[in-house]
Amino acid sequence: MTRWLPMSVTLMAILLVFAAWHLGFGAVNISPPELWQTLVHGQPDYEFILYGYRMPRLFIAALVGAALALSGLLVQGVVRNPLASPDILGVTGGASLAVVGFSIAWTGASVVWVPFVALAGGFASLGCLLWLARPVLNQPASLALVGVALSALFAAAIDFLLTMYPLEINSSLIWLTGSVWGRNWSHLPLIAPWLAVLIPVATFLAYRLDLLDLGDEAATSLGTRVGWLRLLALLTAVALASASVSVCGAISFVGLVAPHMARFLVGYRHLPLIPVCLLLGAILMVSADLFARILMPPIELPAGIVTAFIGAPYFVFLITRYKHW
Amino acid sequence: MLRVLSLFLVLMLYGASLAEVRVAGELGDVVLPAPPQRVVALEFSFVDALATLGVSPVGVADDGDAARVIDPIRAKLDEWTSLGSRSQPSLEVIASLNPDLIIADVERHAAVYEDLQRIAPTLILKSRGETYEDNLNAVMKVAQAFGQEEAMAERIAQHNAIMDAYAAQVNSNATVQFAVSSEKGVWLHGPRAYAGGVIARLGLNSPIPEETEQAYIQITLERLVQANPDYFLVGEYGDQTAVDTYKQNPLWSVITAVKNDHYVETDPRLWSLNRGMISAEIMAGELVEMLGTSTAAQ
Repeated sequence: MTRWLPMSVTLMAILLVFAAWHLGFGAVNISPPELWQTLVHGQPDYEFILYGYRMPRLFIAALVGAALALSGLLVQGVVRNPLASPDILGVTGGASLAVVGFSIAWTGASVVWVPFVALAGGFASLGCLLWLARPVLNQPASLALVGVALSALFAAAIDFLLTMYPLEINSSLIWLTGSVWGRNWSHLPLIAPWLAVLIPVATFLAYRLDLLDLGDEAATSLGTRVGWLRLLALLTAVALASASVSVCGAISFVGLVAPHMARFLVGYRHLPLIPVCLLLGAILMVSADLFARILMPPIELPAGIVTAFIGAPYFVFLITRYKHW
Repeated sequence: MLRVLSLFLVLMLYGASLAEVRVAGELGDVVLPAPPQRVVALEFSFVDALATLGVSPVGVADDGDAARVIDPIRAKLDEWTSLGSRSQPSLEVIASLNPDLIIADVERHAAVYEDLQRIAPTLILKSRGETYEDNLNAVMKVAQAFGQEEAMAERIAQHNAIMDAYAAQVNSNATVQFAVSSEKGVWLHGPRAYAGGVIARLGLNSPIPEETEQAYIQITLERLVQANPDYFLVGEYGDQTAVDTYKQNPLWSVITAVKNDHYVETDPRLWSLNRGMISAEIMAGELVEMLGTSTAAQ
């Protein structure tokens, strides 16, 4: 229990190391003295690269990673299945489908609408999920299965649209693979307020989710309204996931791996898990965007491919050593 | 030396008149206080236009491989810095080159238009999926940015004369189809695509004249047999691509182009990537040669 504080400080230090690396390296390398000059003394040489390009990406990557990780933690807490993640609830798929459909229906529409469309798509798919799963809302495993079916349906619809209209969706295709490319300060308000509101909500839910771990009956007899708790936690998780999808597109594995790593480090009580999970998500996403930029410069890979690349082997490692469920 | 001298002349001409140039892009006007000296191009079609103007870009989004620009164009230009892929060019490399003009594609780069404007004045034009006529309009816009409309108009007139001459050599109403083939599939370039425009410009026909909605149409072998072109040109990305699997199929030999040995493998860089007048003239030459040798054979 007391481990979470030193652990958070350590993770914060790791995040700062990655952040400094993220700011200094890329297709154009900025040496530490020059970085210092630009940041502290406002030297104009790298003004755009730092303030206009890397710094907004750094913040957005960190916040999106944190949001996805927290979303994953909540979903896993509710569904009580280690394979649960925001992806399997169909949120990512619903948001992606909304964006693809939108860019086909309004070919000339401005790209600034994409985040809002994604957000609407994410919540619409949650509506679908809750409506379809209304008889089984109290059986988390069934809920997850309905989510999986819904995701598959959305994925099929996306594939269909991509094959029917290959040209119109070039820009949304990049968005689908999950990328921080082309994001700037104007995208920060799309994710930051969600976290500001929903982290306290998650903290409020933390003890109750611990009780839920004991089983529905035990939780009910200890004074938890299980149905409401589940709905509120799911809504929070979906809002976090939709907000991150609306900024960066579908980023895989962060929402799945970060909570597992966190449990590995600090056990499975939700309150200490929250800060550790947020930090781990941020580290994963910042390092993914960093590697996306420095692996084969000047070519930029989508960060979503890098998270899958980092996340998949780590996931295999976790599964072979996992004892916490 | 000649370059310095011509630069000096240009500076004299434009510096003296202090002509502020305004060019209308697809998403907004770009205002240039002086003719640009350091230009970056985010699509290949703009490289063709710049080569025509004799301007060497300092950076090109060439997908990390300068050889994707065809040799006749590259020969006219100095070496440039790669800006990464065309779909996600590296904005930090663009910024590090200190450009004074960025030419971007409205199809691919609308999402980063604001960021690009923060780096340098950005002229955003049609490129991906453009028609032959779109390209000539875009080329004219590029010329405007350098205050070289007259020179460009002259070059376009010359281009028209060359194309007319090629068209006069073509005495056929055969259907000609170009397609690109990769491991993922085969895409026909329809009448709306640039290659389709060049084919039509020579008075040749398209086997799929009704496909006017999309520039690039992904097909199966069955649809290819149905389209049944008299001449079929394919540009392959890679050694083993989807079109090679078509060749194993008995249906392949039913296609008129294959039956008459009018199936030609050509350079996808020329026919698909490097849209522009220089490419169009080489493409027209290839078409005339292909039609000419086959008529002689008959």
